[in-house]
Amino acid sequence: MEKVVPKIGLFLCVQGGRLSRTIDVNAMAGKFAKAKNVVRCEVVNDVWDPPFLDSIKKDVESSNIDRIMWVGRFTQHQIKHIEGELAATGLNVYLHEWCDLEEQGIGIEGTDPAVLKRKAESLVQMSLARTRLLVPLAPVELPASDALLIIGAGVAGIHTAATLVGLGKRVHLVEKQSGVGGKVALLSRFYPRLCDPHCGLQFALDKLLRSDLVEFHTLSDVVSLEGGPGNFEARIKKRPRYVNEQRCNACGACTAVCPVDAPASLALTGESSAGPVVSGAIGDLLQPKQKAVHAAIPMAFPSAFVVDRDLCPPGCNECEKKCPAQAVDLNQSEEDQILRVGAVLVTTGWDPYPLSRVSEFGYQRYPRIISNLEMEQLLGADRLGLGSHPELSSADLKEIGFVQCAGSRDERHLPYCSSVCCSVTLKQAVHLKETNPETNCYVFYIDVRSPGFDEDLYRRARNLGVVFNRELPSRVISNPVTGKLELQVIDPALNAPMEVNLDLLVLAGGMTPAQGTSDIAQVLNLPQNSYGFFESHYQCHPEESQRTGIYVAGCAREPMKVSHAIESGHLAAMKALSFLEGSILIEPTYPVVDKAKCDQCKRCMESCPFSSFVFDEKGFPIPDLARCRQCGNCMGLCPLNAVSLGHNTIKQMAAKVGAINPSFMGDKEPTVLAFLCQNDAYKAAREAVDKGLPVPPNVILIKVPCAGSVNNALVADALSNGIDGVLVGGCQDGQCHYVKGNQLVQKRSADLGDKLKSMMIDPSRVRFATLEIRDASKYVDLMQSYIAELRVMGPNPFKI
Amino acid sequence: MPPRVDREKCDGCNAQQEPLCEQVCPGDLMALGEDKKAYCRSRRDCWDCMSCTKICPVGAIETRMPYQLGYHVAKLIPMMGTDSITWTCIDINGNVERFRYKNRIEPE
Repeated sequence: MEKVVPKIGLFLCVQGGRLSRTIDVNAMAGKFAKAKNVVRCEVVNDVWDPPFLDSIKKDVESSNIDRIMWVGRFTQHQIKHIEGELAATGLNVYLHEWCDLEEQGIGIEGTDPAVLKRKAESLVQMSLARTRLLVPLAPVELPASDALLIIGAGVAGIHTAATLVGLGKRVHLVEKQSGVGGKVALLSRFYPRLCDPHCGLQFALDKLLRSDLVEFHTLSDVVSLEGGPGNFEARIKKRPRYVNEQRCNACGACTAVCPVDAPASLALTGESSAGPVVSGAIGDLLQPKQKAVHAAIPMAFPSAFVVDRDLCPPGCNECEKKCPAQAVDLNQSEEDQILRVGAVLVTTGWDPYPLSRVSEFGYQRYPRIISNLEMEQLLGADRLGLGSHPELSSADLKEIGFVQCAGSRDERHLPYCSSVCCSVTLKQAVHLKETNPETNCYVFYIDVRSPGFDEDLYRRARNLGVVFNRELPSRVISNPVTGKLELQVIDPALNAPMEVNLDLLVLAGGMTPAQGTSDIAQVLNLPQNSYGFFESHYQCHPEESQRTGIYVAGCAREPMKVSHAIESGHLAAMKALSFLEGSILIEPTYPVVDKAKCDQCKRCMESCPFSSFVFDEKGFPIPDLARCRQCGNCMGLCPLNAVSLGHNTIKQMAAKVGAINPSFMGDKEPTVLAFLCQNDAYKAAREAVDKGLPVPPNVILIKVPCAGSVNNALVADALSNGIDGVLVGGCQDGQCHYVKGNQLVQKRSADLGDKLKSMMIDPSRVRFATLEIRDASKYVDLMQSYIAELRVMGPNPFKI
Repeated sequence: MPPRVDREKCDGCNAQQEPLCEQVCPGDLMALGEDKKAYCRSRRDCWDCMSCTKICPVGAIETRMPYQLGYHVAKLIPMMGTDSITWTCIDINGNVERFRYKNRIEPE
């Protein structure tokens, strides 16, 4: 590579700031005009002065200067505009160095002027050292697909797909069941308006049907995912439907001849085996029979029927013979398909908690105890055509009880609140009361959690005469003679036990991650939280998983109501859009591995919080640029300093550290170098200066992308350069934007501390501290106490 | 004196096939034990070059000074900077000496 001799333009911008009050800017300009590689050095009063800007542009155009170092105080806004202005003349935006003296405390009056002068000069030297090493960089454009893969065609998946199709994006909807709609298709009514959920689903499906951008893959599972954001390659396995989707016209002739009469699937209960047989009409409703060939479930979409071959009697092919459209094909086999997509949205939803585990409420032990999801089926029966059962609204179902938090908020079962069950119960009680005022409803609860406008539902239930009892039943038994359920419960109003006889008991069970969630997690390499839901940054970026380009929405992330699930799907799609534009623009600040130094130890691969690294053909780790979030943890932990972020290379950082004058505070006072995470700790430090807090002048700070990007070699450099203490400031545990950068650097700092101890140097010269973004005063306290400790330790033995 | 591995600290380079110390040892003396911790498999062949000590990313390896240079408990500890090594030498009387070496400047 040709050696470039840098030609630096150095401008000290006073702009009426505090700088000229505390240091002699003109003297500094005179001094640095003679510095190595500096070709032009001036004090500037107004950066926006047209003659000044023109003169720089002329210098840039005539190649008199090829990089600029700005000293002064600039906002992000100003930086953007100045860089943009000069980019027009051909100066790469990465050839600017911004040296903010005020954030380092140079503007604070009352400090010894000699100290300030030495510190300011040291800071300018640091930036100058870095400026010499700047290189022009350009963003990288990667080709990308324009399709989104949505796993799970439930309410979140369908609505999100409908919106995306409207935006002209292609969507692949993969669903493991034979039909779409997910859990919502099983519900009888939505709250708060008590309308039919099929209406909303059908509305979105109609939109999708009109578009040729969407492809449905029912009875399919994603079995592998290769590649990175923008260019994923998903392999799906499609189980046979045994019915030709194009030919089938859903006439139902096959179902009529099917000899099978098997119990329907247990999807409603989340149980692995069926409970006791319930006799009578309710039994027929709750334990419906199913033919081997039937319409797709939960919603008959696609309209083609499906054959459940596990239920078929051996040798039977009645349906194949009878089908007038010759659509049934019992010889279909499994198919594999490769989908090329730019991003993945996981909306795999939830399954009910198996209530038989909450044994005290007798689910599956006694008949007439059902889950809230089964209750939905019961309530929907009159509309599903199953409900030619007069018992439904007659005396047989007069006394109905609801047990809230059945297994939820319980350390033995689900420690969390599923957030919808209270409103669901209110909705069901209101529905029962409004259709048949003779019904008596009892709700046994711990707390009624009906957030927001759901409170209206609660008031409505109260006004309709639903009885609320703030105590769960202590005993549930079934009277074998009357067939009624006998509940023993404390009435807290009277503080006395009472007995309630019920015709039906509904257990409000909670939500668990859908069955198969851990399989998907394995295929997509997505971390799950302790409850089994997909991990997310629940507050700031709820839709983001820890894998770039893969998003999680709906109840696959956390229990939520339908409207939130739809919202979360759209939020995720919004974020995914950046990978669906046909190309992705990558900022050039990505990590680069120096292959001459790398010895393939793979530490970067293992510790990358986003699993961004892949092997190149020679076995070297290289980052998948689309996946990388440019946090620099790879740079921080490389034992050989072989990894560097663009524009923040380890050499540039080392040059800065090496240029510090360790004695800028004089002989007695300790000096501290602080590497601060730009997300939190650095902002806290900056705020401390801006607020005029007594920030000790002993500190020089260096902004880093993440505390985890600080390599121990840099800390060692600082110590052997004679700096008395090195502080690495990162986010609090669990708050790191890059998941675990703070933990990684904390461990490394502790290791280095142990080494210092064996070197007969006080290990607390290296320190890791956590700071939140507004911890300005905590930062000042921390620095003051640290400096006090360093004073006791005495000077660093390496100080000359 | 051969290298001593602090078994608490050594993470076996996360069970990679070859930990860094094994890769770097000029005599191919380091190996991973069954417990996935590094050890020196032929202690008498060690030349005390300290390559393993320098490269260990978690600082788990310590080299004692050979007796010809300093009696037992004398220590020589390297700390790796980006382009320098800082040595601390502690002799048997507890006297500490420190030196800093700049590494060879690599060609760009």
